[in-house]
Amino acid sequence: MANRSGAAQRPNGTQGKICQFKLVLLGESAVGKSSLVLRFVKGQFHEYQESTIGAAFLTQTVCLDDTTVKFEIWDTAGQERYHSLAPMYYRGAQAAIVVYDITNQDTFGRAKTWVKELQRQASPTIVIALAGNKQDLANKRMVEFEEAQTYADENGLLFMETSAKTALNVNDIFLAIAKKLPKYDQNQGQSGQGQGRRLAEGDQGAKTPGNCCK
Amino acid sequence: MAQTMYSKVDEYGFERPTNFDYKLHAEFMEKYMRTLVRRAQRWSTLKGKNKYVKNNKLRRFVRKGVPLDLRSIVWMQVSEAQVLKDASPANYYNIRKTQINNPALIEMIKIDVPRTFPDNINFISQEYLSKQMFNVLATFAHQNSEVGYCQGLNYITGLLLLVTKNEEVSFWLLKVLVENILPKYSVTNMSGLLVDLDVLDELVARFDVDIHRHIRKIGMPWAMVTTKWFICLFCEVLPTETVLRIWDCIFYEGSKIIFRVGLTLIKLHKTEILRTKELSELITCFKDMRNHKEVIDCHQFMINIFKIPGSITDNELQRLRIKYSKTQNQR
Repeated sequence: MANRSGAAQRPNGTQGKICQFKLVLLGESAVGKSSLVLRFVKGQFHEYQESTIGAAFLTQTVCLDDTTVKFEIWDTAGQERYHSLAPMYYRGAQAAIVVYDITNQDTFGRAKTWVKELQRQASPTIVIALAGNKQDLANKRMVEFEEAQTYADENGLLFMETSAKTALNVNDIFLAIAKKLPKYDQNQGQSGQGQGRRLAEGDQGAKTPGNCCK
Repeated sequence: MAQTMYSKVDEYGFERPTNFDYKLHAEFMEKYMRTLVRRAQRWSTLKGKNKYVKNNKLRRFVRKGVPLDLRSIVWMQVSEAQVLKDASPANYYNIRKTQINNPALIEMIKIDVPRTFPDNINFISQEYLSKQMFNVLATFAHQNSEVGYCQGLNYITGLLLLVTKNEEVSFWLLKVLVENILPKYSVTNMSGLLVDLDVLDELVARFDVDIHRHIRKIGMPWAMVTTKWFICLFCEVLPTETVLRIWDCIFYEGSKIIFRVGLTLIKLHKTEILRTKELSELITCFKDMRNHKEVIDCHQFMINIFKIPGSITDNELQRLRIKYSKTQNQR
């Protein structure tokens, strides 16, 4: 990974860090969770994205200054009845994107419920981002930008309106999360909840199996 | 046949995965075509009014694969969907006529229909298939309020329609699956799924302690990789032909087949599973199972599912399900 990303060894000779974070996407069915991930990971968009059963797992790496951030992404099923399976995906996650559809007020209410559940049950240091997706359909908007921004501010969430279709703010929201995640205090022997795992050069994760995934 | 062998879509109109091994597939198909011809001949020797009545001979035949053109009728008979249909006071089209007064449910089905198998050439080219899928799901939801609509049923219904090419037959087969054959996987709290995930864990522990220990060590909950096994009955998990061979047996022998398939998949990939060092590798290992030689060779795979896991009786499965329903209730 270190060699492939090209980020670990900088031209000026300083050694970059490689961090791995677990990120979970939550939100009502059909708000665009899988589409956001597909856009972020493969740069693609499908008008008809298959409904996710259980959850899908994907990874993507981003470079941020001197750090390479590898996201392990859990894209979960949105239908309410799959809710009982959700804790296994957000438990131990360092970041979450809670998604709603700006053209559907109910999905915003559902997003708030997810945020509450994360605040209560996920890691206390989890970084939560709120994504108002389908910004390309702003002419059918039912959730005002200001309303969501106020809610996000009150709850200490990152917030962006996104469009998986046009790619608006998709990379940005993942980057904003990467920036907010703690990356600089991990070489002190902590690798538990809420901490990204720092990998040493050449370390493929073999020495600390599943550290960030419990 | 040469054309389908090298086509980018399979015999049922599904796109093959990007890393599909065409050479391996061609080798398998050459052999499998002969099997299919031989089996079709054997099936044609069954005679009489009661030719699809359950008995040891028919079970053996079903395990060796039901010919595609007989699947509708054989599935209807051996699953007893035909009995349900005959006993129903209203026929499908009358049930369908009844108005459903749950707009949220209908809305969700409407959203999911166009995004079920969006890449399947049959669903792309034949618009009526989407209409039929909506009808089956909405009618089912209307007559079963405990389940209503559960995401996953769309995939099962889609494949039923592709195989049976008949909306009414698909409805009765969906109904018999959800209401009689499978435990409560699709109900609003998915209780049957949670129980069977625990049952699977115990079966794996008994069956192969190394694999069980390794999966525990990495900390992977079974739900992460097996939810689709139970909910979609391996649809979109394994190659279509393998899925249909599995469905032949599920319709005849019931939900224990899911565990047989699951345990066989795990055992066949033991080396790969034990080689994984972290969660992401383990997940990828499970995802890649569909491309393995042993899985693509569905005929051999079906022989294996009755050999590798050893005995799994209905009674034993029942006992385990009761045991874990109690644990679930205590949580």
